[in-house]
Amino acid sequence: MPLTPATLTRHELIGRPVRVVAASNPDLVGIAGEVVMETTRTLSVEGSTHDEPRVWQVPKGEATFEFTLTADGDTQVVTVEGEQLVARPARRTERTGDSKWR
Amino acid sequence: MPSEEQLAAERIERLRALAKAATSAGETDRARAYVRRARRVAERNRLSLPQDFKRFTCDRCDAYLKPGVNARFRTRDGHVVVTCDCGGHARYPY
Ligand SMILES: [Zn+2]
Repeated sequence: MPLTPATLTRHELIGRPVRVVAASNPDLVGIAGEVVMETTRTLSVEGSTHDEPRVWQVPKGEATFEFTLTADGDTQVVTVEGEQLVARPARRTERTGDSKWR
Repeated sequence: MPSEEQLAAERIERLRALAKAATSAGETDRARAYVRRARRVAERNRLSLPQDFKRFTCDRCDAYLKPGVNARFRTRDGHVVVTCDCGGHARYPY
């Protein structure tokens, strides 16, 4: 079954465009780019500041993310509470009762 | 409830494509991490890896193999010999 907003939290996040919309650390808000790595508690986002490429490691638990999904030409923006993503990367797929997507 | 196995298979395919792209971009360590992640997902869901995944990854160092870039593909009598830059070999028939 293809990637939908409902399955996003259990699907692969690497390579997806993302933006941090809220975080307990104000410095993290506004970080935008592509997910390049994932650990149990963090997402690494590659973006750029002042035309310099940069990778930020954002704690999942304290941030709210906005993922952009593209399917068949149309774009969908999905907001995810980072809390829902806190899990070992390979084990996220096995969780049930997911999707509190907006 | 969407099938978990199907979701896992999609994840593996996506990680394979990401590893390939990362290798092309020169990010070989990142590619290695993606290959390892895909192997882990397959293991957890008891899925076998697709044929092209098996043939284009190194069993020894988990690199994604790109012919001429980080691996040599040579035909021998009835089989292909793949040599990774790490020194690992793999063979498959043709
Ligand atoms: Zn190797």
